Amino acid sequence: MYDNRASESAVTADDIKIEAKRVNVHYGTTHAIKDVDVSILDKTVTAFIGPSGCGKSTFLRCINRMNDTIDVARVTGDIRIDGEDINDARVDPVQLRAKVGMVFQKPNPFPKSIYDNVAYGPKIHGLAKNKGDLDDIVERALRRGAIWDEVKDRLHAPGTGLSGGQQQRLCIARAVATEPEVLLMDEPCSALDPIATGQVEELIDELRRDYSVVIVTHSMQQAARVSQKTAFFHLGNLIEYGDTDEIFTNPKDPKTESYITGRIG
Amino acid sequence: MPFYWTLAIIALLCAAGYVLGRRKAVASVGGDKRRLHSLPNFYGMNVALKGAVPAFGLLVFWLIAQPLFVEWRVSSIVSDLAVSEARDLGLVMVDVRRVADGLDTAVATGTMTASEATDIAAGDGNVRERLGAAGVALGSEVSEPVLRAAQRYRALSSTGDTLRSVAVLAVLLLGLGWAYRETDGEFRARNVVEQGVLALLLGAACIAILTTLGIVLSLIFNTIEFFSIYPASEFFFSTTWFPSFGGGSSLGILPLLWGTLYISLIALAVAVPIGLMAAIYLSEYASPRVRGIAKPALEILAGIPTIVYGLFALLTVGPALMVVFGDGGLGWMQAGTAVMTAGLVMGIMLIPFVSSLSDDIINAVPQSMRDGSYGLGATQSETVRQVVLPAALPGIVGAILLAASRAIGETMIVVLGAGAAARISPNPFEAMTTVTAKIVSQLTGDADFSSPEALVAFALGMTLFVLTLGLNVFALYIVRKYREQYE
Ligand SMILES: Nc1ncnc2c1ncn2[C@@H]1O[C@H](COP(=O)(O)OP(=O)(O)OP(=O)(O)O)[C@@H](O)[C@H]1O
Ligand SMILES: [Mg+2]
Repeated sequence: MYDNRASESAVTADDIKIEAKRVNVHYGTTHAIKDVDVSILDKTVTAFIGPSGCGKSTFLRCINRMNDTIDVARVTGDIRIDGEDINDARVDPVQLRAKVGMVFQKPNPFPKSIYDNVAYGPKIHGLAKNKGDLDDIVERALRRGAIWDEVKDRLHAPGTGLSGGQQQRLCIARAVATEPEVLLMDEPCSALDPIATGQVEELIDELRRDYSVVIVTHSMQQAARVSQKTAFFHLGNLIEYGDTDEIFTNPKDPKTESYITGRIG
Repeated sequence: MPFYWTLAIIALLCAAGYVLGRRKAVASVGGDKRRLHSLPNFYGMNVALKGAVPAFGLLVFWLIAQPLFVEWRVSSIVSDLAVSEARDLGLVMVDVRRVADGLDTAVATGTMTASEATDIAAGDGNVRERLGAAGVALGSEVSEPVLRAAQRYRALSSTGDTLRSVAVLAVLLLGLGWAYRETDGEFRARNVVEQGVLALLLGAACIAILTTLGIVLSLIFNTIEFFSIYPASEFFFSTTWFPSFGGGSSLGILPLLWGTLYISLIALAVAVPIGLMAAIYLSEYASPRVRGIAKPALEILAGIPTIVYGLFALLTVGPALMVVFGDGGLGWMQAGTAVMTAGLVMGIMLIPFVSSLSDDIINAVPQSMRDGSYGLGATQSETVRQVVLPAALPGIVGAILLAASRAIGETMIVVLGAGAAARISPNPFEAMTTVTAKIVSQLTGDADFSSPEALVAFALGMTLFVLTLGLNVFALYIVRKYREQYE
């Protein structure tokens, strides 16, 4: 039923990229993440699945400290990237976010041209030596975001004038343009047609060669296709985490089984 | 019948029409409300509306038309008098109205009977004294034609009033009756009432637009009159402003425009950077507690009357500037009243204006925009500069241009802070004056409203109007241009 690309290109690196221990998140009085422990591997695609409102986005936002921007959010616990505690006072969240890119659940292009949207990250991090260099970076990012052909003639049109699905791919291109080590993708294909979805999945597979990718998805097929590891969240708890093949063929927890077979949602 | 009675009767009859219409509609379907096309209330409202709207329409029309008609009829009586005494017809009519009002008061207070008032002649006893006894003071003896005209005026007005009541009530009853007859279960009362509401809203919009149009037209006509007695080229290109009521004045707008623009420029140079930075601090950096205190405090600043700012300019800022730039210091400044004084104070006045508007606009930029920027590893100031401000730019430009129109139209601070001398000079420490301040000084005092020295106020007003209109159009253009790019 699931064709798993992961098995074709063998995964070798097994070192842990992100390690989370006893992570708890409260939004005011809402307890959104409850004691989650998880180790995310380098050069691996990890899928987060679970019913709506179970805390997938919240946990994802812990990894690059985006919850800092929410006044009511309180994060406790220990999250380490490459062994370094990201909540340490010495860690600059700005630096961290340059290293851990994010594609948001809702597409949020800046009110700038398509070109400037993609060039934004490289510009502020000084990744391009000159204009030609920047052009190359932008083109490469847009190609990887599977949107180059659609926008190559209108790079200076506003990014907000694109369709919802195009905006989503623009945001993916924007995120990969800064060359992050970890890419967090929150439902990156929710508004895409099967062809664009296929292209984005190819991109994810390609990114896996160098980076660690975490993807939130509501599509079981997509999780099975692109990921090597899967984490199943339910009501703020991490119910089950393991190899994707294992989770989909032989889930240990009855909750996981009912979710992937479509009995709870 | 007194006017208020007419209103009361309209209201009563409409209420009755409402009840009856509603009852008839319900009765027409045998009490089963589900079979009605619309809810029962709509049938009632339909009847009430069809009575009230034409009745009120006629009433308003009559109230406007009757005085015009009476005036026209009466003025034909006194026009001979006006010609023979070589007096202005308008002035004679003022006398006539005054006498007519006096007779009304006399009857109302009981010093004259109604028939006396209609029949009294200038020869019978002393009209002026008798009216004086009723508390109506007249400037001169009442001449026979004026008294006749006044009596005619009263007669016409009272006939008109009676006719008005009759006509309005007739229209009201016709409307109510018609609506009542058409009421039955099939009738689409809801749609009709919707249309009625639409018409009401449209009417309100029309009143707003027509008043504006009226003001502009009166400006235009008076300006045209001014230019017929004073050369336009002088007005627009002369660099001297020297009105003298004895004639031979020089009324060039350039020095005034120069003062206006110079002061506004200084004010904006103060208000825009400070206001904008305050807004950015408040909306992006301040903690909710600081914001909760600082924002209302800034808004209080916006509520201070401009005359208080004027006093502040005159008593505090002017002398303070004198200490530094006056004779004791750098020697650039002769007196406390100067362009700089007024500009600085006006700038302070505009700070809350700019900051409060910009703060709202910056706050309206969606959080997801900021998240996107932070998610790419941008710092807060990069996010503000490169994402938030560009997104808010159209609104901010609008706010600045609004502040500019306020600065151009400001009067009190100029009167007290900038002096009254109209001159063109690059030195901001000299006294200058503005268009608004000169409009005030041309119209206060014993101005003869047909002299160029008074009429010039309209031309000045017109210029200001065109200037602010131009600014607003420009603001719209900018906002629209950026909206295309940013939405
Ligand atoms: N900014 C916030 N303020 C308060 N509560 C929040 C906030 N964001 C999320 N929550 C709460 O936290 C819980 C988890 O939300 P989260 O967005 O992580 O869900 P999710 O798993 O991503 O759901 P979905 O699949 O619908 O995107 C929910 O109960 C939600 O109401
Ligand atoms: Mg989510």
